[in-house]
Amino acid sequence: MKNNKAILRKLQEIVGEEHATDDIAICASYARDQHWHFVPPKRPAFVVRPANKEEVREVLMLANEEKVPVVPLSTGINIRGLAIPVHDGSILLDLGRMNRIIEINADMKTATVEPAVTFGMLYEQTRKFKLRPAFPDAPLTVSVLTNYYLRGIYQTSAADGHDHVLSYEMVLPNGEIVRTGSRALSSSLPHFRYGVGPDFTGVFCSHPGTCGVVVELTARLYRIYDNKKAYFVGFNSIEDAVPFIYNVMNDELVVSLRLVDNQSWLKGMCGTYDYDYKSLPKFVLCALVEGIDGIFEAKDEIFNEHLRNFVLSEGKGELLDFPEDFASNFFYETLGGTEKSCMVFGLRGNYHCIGLYGPLNMAPKYYEMHRRTAIEVGFPEEFVHFYLNPIYPFHGQLCYVELDIFYDGAAEDAGEKLREYNKKQFENLLNAGIYGWFRPYAGIIEPTIERIGYLAEIWRKFSQILDPNRIMNRGKLF
Amino acid sequence: MSLSKDEIRRAIYHCVKCKLCSIATFHPQEAWEPLCPSGTYFGFQAFYAPGRMEIFRELLEGEIKEPTEGLLNAVFACTLCGACYEKCRRVSKVELPLAEIFEEMRREIVRRGWMPDAHRSIAEKVKRTRNAYGEEEAFESENLKPTKGADVLYFIGCTARFRVPEIADAMLCIFDKLGVEYQVLDEEWCCCSVLMRAGWHDSDIVREHIRHNYDAICESGAKTVVFTCPGCLKTLKKDYAEFGADFSKEGIELLHATQFIQRLMRERGLDVKGLPLKATYHDPCHLGRDLGIYEEPREVLSAAVEISEMRRVREEAWCCGSGGGVKSAFNDFAVWSAEERLKEAEETGADAIVSACPFCKRNLRDAAKHAGSKLQVLDVVEILNEAL
Repeated sequence: MKNNKAILRKLQEIVGEEHATDDIAICASYARDQHWHFVPPKRPAFVVRPANKEEVREVLMLANEEKVPVVPLSTGINIRGLAIPVHDGSILLDLGRMNRIIEINADMKTATVEPAVTFGMLYEQTRKFKLRPAFPDAPLTVSVLTNYYLRGIYQTSAADGHDHVLSYEMVLPNGEIVRTGSRALSSSLPHFRYGVGPDFTGVFCSHPGTCGVVVELTARLYRIYDNKKAYFVGFNSIEDAVPFIYNVMNDELVVSLRLVDNQSWLKGMCGTYDYDYKSLPKFVLCALVEGIDGIFEAKDEIFNEHLRNFVLSEGKGELLDFPEDFASNFFYETLGGTEKSCMVFGLRGNYHCIGLYGPLNMAPKYYEMHRRTAIEVGFPEEFVHFYLNPIYPFHGQLCYVELDIFYDGAAEDAGEKLREYNKKQFENLLNAGIYGWFRPYAGIIEPTIERIGYLAEIWRKFSQILDPNRIMNRGKLF
Repeated sequence: MSLSKDEIRRAIYHCVKCKLCSIATFHPQEAWEPLCPSGTYFGFQAFYAPGRMEIFRELLEGEIKEPTEGLLNAVFACTLCGACYEKCRRVSKVELPLAEIFEEMRREIVRRGWMPDAHRSIAEKVKRTRNAYGEEEAFESENLKPTKGADVLYFIGCTARFRVPEIADAMLCIFDKLGVEYQVLDEEWCCCSVLMRAGWHDSDIVREHIRHNYDAICESGAKTVVFTCPGCLKTLKKDYAEFGADFSKEGIELLHATQFIQRLMRERGLDVKGLPLKATYHDPCHLGRDLGIYEEPREVLSAAVEISEMRRVREEAWCCGSGGGVKSAFNDFAVWSAEERLKEAEETGADAIVSACPFCKRNLRDAAKHAGSKLQVLDVVEILNEAL
């Protein structure tokens, strides 16, 4: 056992006494997240809160020398077990003090941020320039840097895509600093993704804190348009919705397009529990058309033509007539950041999901597998929910699919059922065929690594080069 | 209110840690406004609601076995303002009674004999002098003209008696100007709000005080008890009932001064002159979030002065920082929180920040002095007294 008191003293010398602690109660507050059925609670040995990248560098170098695991954490929201330590003696690196918006460049349509800048903080500033970030379906309190670095799922994926990172600066365990994209050549021009040779920006992304610590990131911003219109289209099956979704995406008509069931995410999008959602068709497609004068009208007209051709005249679905404030809530949530959508957590107290990427034409199959497996392990059918988000550009009919179970987090048997569900469903999905997983959650990496051949070996070696002492979030990947 | 272990456990496992409880409602203003004073000030997750619940989990599971400095800080450096609960309720519908949960955590800790020295000291003062400030002398005022057996009883409260007597004086003058006969208790004992917020519910001293105050009020013959302190009002109205001291069963009505005055205003109209003062109103946590009283103070205040609202008001009011035992145990933090509120008040262009709570006034006044603020810090009853 290392000399913890000596390590604490050194950490305090770096960040100041009040910003580093081994106090059991303070450490306990970082021990568990909402994925606890899969990642059991574990206290870090230390919590350290650096103020700037230089302090981050010194902490990492100390940890590297002492071979102490480091778990980076930005705002700590929606972390799905990825920031819960695995090993004893870990340092929880709480980056909450690093909350500067370094730059908003309206001409370049970019923002450069530190780890603790949230979507709410960023949007408060970017809207002054009629610009917005791409908002995830996660709350406004989430870190922009971490969400984009890990690659989230976005309300405006239908037009903005799902990769908003241009470049970043990362501190490695040995103290070296890596600058990706055009940053490598000039820190004053961080606005281009590719810069020098391979896409290093991409190759480090989506590692759950297992490469180094990203201390600043430049991201894309998108225009805010005055013209916008919301549509809610009801379908009794996912199959019925597929042709319409395909054509709308193929013609690039919408900024947001999401198919949800009528009992979960829809309530948050509409902003209220007080509506007869059960009387609606089982699935509702929520669409948002926007654009500048001329383009908006053209898109809207074609959208309506598709609505007539692929939905109404075929009898596949119906245009729903919602109260006006549903649309205005939908605008706020989609183009201004998720807040009321979090109402869904109150459906039963917690929610579990498997997130994956796959083609639109397999969505009905994914849903049916989800429904069957959930019932098989003992969840009532009413706990089974669904979310589909097509992603621009629509090659491969790329969609993010989320198989949700909203359950009572306090129920004694919930954990066992969820683990059983996951075990069956991972195999089902890998066998049926998917493009990939949303994030390397607990239980996903192991069955997946077996299937990716030599890529797994390259991946392991790559991680060893960056982190030979294996201090970065040790145990989370390999 | 006492929560069962099962209710607490359910609450802990129903929090998905979205931390929306830490910011004021974002849409439609789209302004990023912190809502949690302790989280904003101390920074570690332990000082936000989700982190605090993890500490409670580890306490109940036996993982935390001793009172570390971090434990006492995280548990007691929270004013129990309830803003986190109100926000959570509005966005998530999860129904986590956070202020009650955190008070229950303190109760659990105090049962183990762990508490800040400052709170131990308050308990000793209450025991010795029957008030929270250890004052030996009784409250005196030339405006005190009680009538024994009057229908209205004015429960003054420790803070108005000993730290902000101008509030008590103003209220006594209002009674006089409105021709309302009132009585006061011969021996008014501390309501014990501060001890209960600090987790001392199960102590003998609290039970003794509840019994004394309840018996004294019931025996007074009063039909209505008026409070200028929302802490006292909340405690007598809500907490006392848990101990079998339920005033509603005796047909005794408990009202905040602003409710009482509003009623008179509506029943008979009052001759209130306008004052040349621009004010902004600060919602006290016990009055607003705990008791749902937001409009009465505004109605009374606006009869005399022009009000401009701050950004964070009503259910999302930023706490002044003094409640929950924080003022005594973490004064720097308490004053910081009040300074943040003063900054917000100054942005409205107001000349004065007006609250309806002696404890808010005290802390805001301390902050104004510390910050060199030009804002006047007043109570609603002081304004009304001047305007009548």
